Amino acid sequence: MAKSLLIISRQAPWSGPSAREALDIALAGGAFDLPLGMLFLDDGVLQLLPSQNARALQQKDLTANLQALEMFGVEDLFACSTSLAERGMSPDALNVEPLNVLQDEEIAALIDRYDQVITI
Amino acid sequence: MKFAIALYSPAHAPSSRRALLFAQAALAAGHEIVRLFFYQDGVHSASSAVVTPQDELDVPAQWREFVTTHQLDGVVCIAAALRRGVLNEAEARRYSRTAASVAAPWELSGLGQLHDAVQEADRLICFGGP
Amino acid sequence: MSTLHVLSHSPFADSRLSTCLRVLGGEDAILLCGDATYALNASTAARQALEARADGLKLFVLDEDATARSIELPDWVKAVDYPGFVELSVHYDKVNTWL
Repeated sequence: MAKSLLIISRQAPWSGPSAREALDIALAGGAFDLPLGMLFLDDGVLQLLPSQNARALQQKDLTANLQALEMFGVEDLFACSTSLAERGMSPDALNVEPLNVLQDEEIAALIDRYDQVITI
Repeated sequence: MKFAIALYSPAHAPSSRRALLFAQAALAAGHEIVRLFFYQDGVHSASSAVVTPQDELDVPAQWREFVTTHQLDGVVCIAAALRRGVLNEAEARRYSRTAASVAAPWELSGLGQLHDAVQEADRLICFGGP
Repeated sequence: MSTLHVLSHSPFADSRLSTCLRVLGGEDAILLCGDATYALNASTAARQALEARADGLKLFVLDEDATARSIELPDWVKAVDYPGFVELSVHYDKVNTWL
């Protein structure tokens, strides 16, 4: 049975290449049909803000890639409730779905469910 | 145990040396290293162009020696490398760039190699940051 | 299931340690290395936060980093060398490095 991998994305969408490169790991794994999950934590939840306009910074729009995760077989998407609240974000107004919003203790349980984890 | 070791930081970051020392300790303890995968700024740890002052630790050279001595599979993520200007001869030719800065024992390959290593290994350990 | 969380960023301008402490599992451990070792500086909120968890949380520090910074280690932290670091990575089910 394939080992499962949880990718924890902690950076804002355009703070550098981290958000993009975390997503690339997920998409690559999805392409190989591997069991993957992705958790948005700390500034990583900022990737989930709706109405982003990457063009204004001449950057690529990550939203399209995030929405493609499901198509690549990465369906287990999670966001940290505390991180959302800290950043003034409502769990009901995110640019990706379906997405599970988790409390802190649920995140501990989430990490336990996966065989490996990468926090990027 | 089988280890997959991923490095995300350049040679001058303390975590690059830390990853190397961990890798050496893992082998010394009788464990196996399935693959070293250099991603994000980790591609710079594989650079053959880094010039280290004489009185400092030459981390890229130490990585090269470690991989060569133990005949390990040292992979540099090609997408991360290209984006950061770390190219081997073939890629430098392909993109008409003036310099190649990664060579044997390092191989440029895709993220599939990271996933493959994660599947094969018992433990994935990542190093990055300070 | 148990996870070894590895931190190397200084806790003073960074949220990794505080977030890690929030999402820690009951069987988990933390290894401080690099600048995360400064979390053990006396009279800091970081050290207090760690000490408050000292009963249930297993805390380790990479000895070379504590030595380099002349940090006096309390008895609720165990210093490990690289062979010890390798042993920890084998003992815990997985390693989560906060890159």
